Amino acid sequence: MPEQQPPDDALLAALAARDLGALATLYDRYGRLAYSLAYRILGEGEAAEDVVQDAFLSAWRGAGSYRRDRGNPRAWLLSIVHHRAVDILRRKTTFRPAPLEMAESQPSEDDTALAAEKNVEHRTVREALEALPQAQRRTIELAYFGGYTHVELSELMGVPLGTVKGRMRIGLQKMRRALERSR
Amino acid sequence: MNEHVLDELEAYALGALDRADAERVAEHLGVCASCRSDAAALAEVVGTLPETVTPREPRPALRDRIIAAARTGLSQPAHAPSRRWSFGAARLSRVAFAGLFAAIIVLGAADIDAYQRTMAITAERDDLSGLVESMRQGSREWYMAGKDAFARAGGTLYDPRADGKQPFVLFHDLPSIPAGKVLTIWLVSPDSTWARAATFQPNGKDIQAVRINMEVSGFDRCAVTLEDSSWGPRYGAVVMESRIAPPTTP
Repeated sequence: MPEQQPPDDALLAALAARDLGALATLYDRYGRLAYSLAYRILGEGEAAEDVVQDAFLSAWRGAGSYRRDRGNPRAWLLSIVHHRAVDILRRKTTFRPAPLEMAESQPSEDDTALAAEKNVEHRTVREALEALPQAQRRTIELAYFGGYTHVELSELMGVPLGTVKGRMRIGLQKMRRALERSR
Repeated sequence: MNEHVLDELEAYALGALDRADAERVAEHLGVCASCRSDAAALAEVVGTLPETVTPREPRPALRDRIIAAARTGLSQPAHAPSRRWSFGAARLSRVAFAGLFAAIIVLGAADIDAYQRTMAITAERDDLSGLVESMRQGSREWYMAGKDAFARAGGTLYDPRADGKQPFVLFHDLPSIPAGKVLTIWLVSPDSTWARAATFQPNGKDIQAVRINMEVSGFDRCAVTLEDSSWGPRYGAVVMESRIAPPTTP
């Protein structure tokens, strides 16, 4: 009988009680995903590791103030990783919108094309994203992985801000429905 | 702020708002259950996006690094409370240990003509006494020479030999820094990992001590950088640094 793993909420409670074993378990569970996300955004291993270290230590310090209504522990942890990686990316590049072709030549297409297919959930998310019209998918990817603000995307893509917002809204709605259907 | 932010929730969930707008939306979410509920639903969808990324393996040492950092003191508040004081134009550098004793004497004999001043100096002296006490069994120390705009400044990292005593850096002649910037003390490991040890701002006085929240052992360099943010990896310019000699073997 396989050993039962503690749920994420229990891990965060243990973190708040300064249980280093819980921190190790949390890392074993999400360290790879966190690193993959940071690497995808920053495109560089050392910087990605720094972000992951910072995020896990932030979780270690902030577990006591974690609130469930702000998202599940996995989403909370990954949002820290995402926020910090994007923050570094923006400061690194002084963030002048690059030509669209350049932005698209960043690793997004290749990376997503190789997404893990072993796991049903991975495949479902991947399919939901791929099913979006290209403009919606591109908007979501450039915003989330490229670190562009919606205003910058408006300039970058040469469309009104309202169009960018609309693409984000409709794209995320479709993804949500697709994910709900799969459950 | 009561105006709903429905128009911006998707961008907020994707992290696609600038800092000011994101803070405004976050502020609204703190008081609006309806928008908060919508934001949580969007966050759940956005939270699946990392699943589309190619899995990559970090180096195995990262796990140990994180656990070690948590174990050795980063469980304490991220921003170490800095202990600050001033005692005239005295300058401490490599000989600061001896100077601390002298400073205490100076403080004790100071011309104290007002109760508040007495209390302030007493507090400063207590701080000094605490540091001196921590070094009664000696300490290892390394001087960081300032560069560029910090050329007249410097800081000595003290690592008390007594068990459980906190390392600290004693700075001298720190210049003022631009608004919004902070100084960060880093310990750098042999594999070039930069660990944030403390973040602070110059207090405008000749001498400033900043305690750090990490053990020095295991690192081979210390440095101070000028940063835009009080968290996150190093990005700013190094304004002073020093190699940290390994412990001498008997």
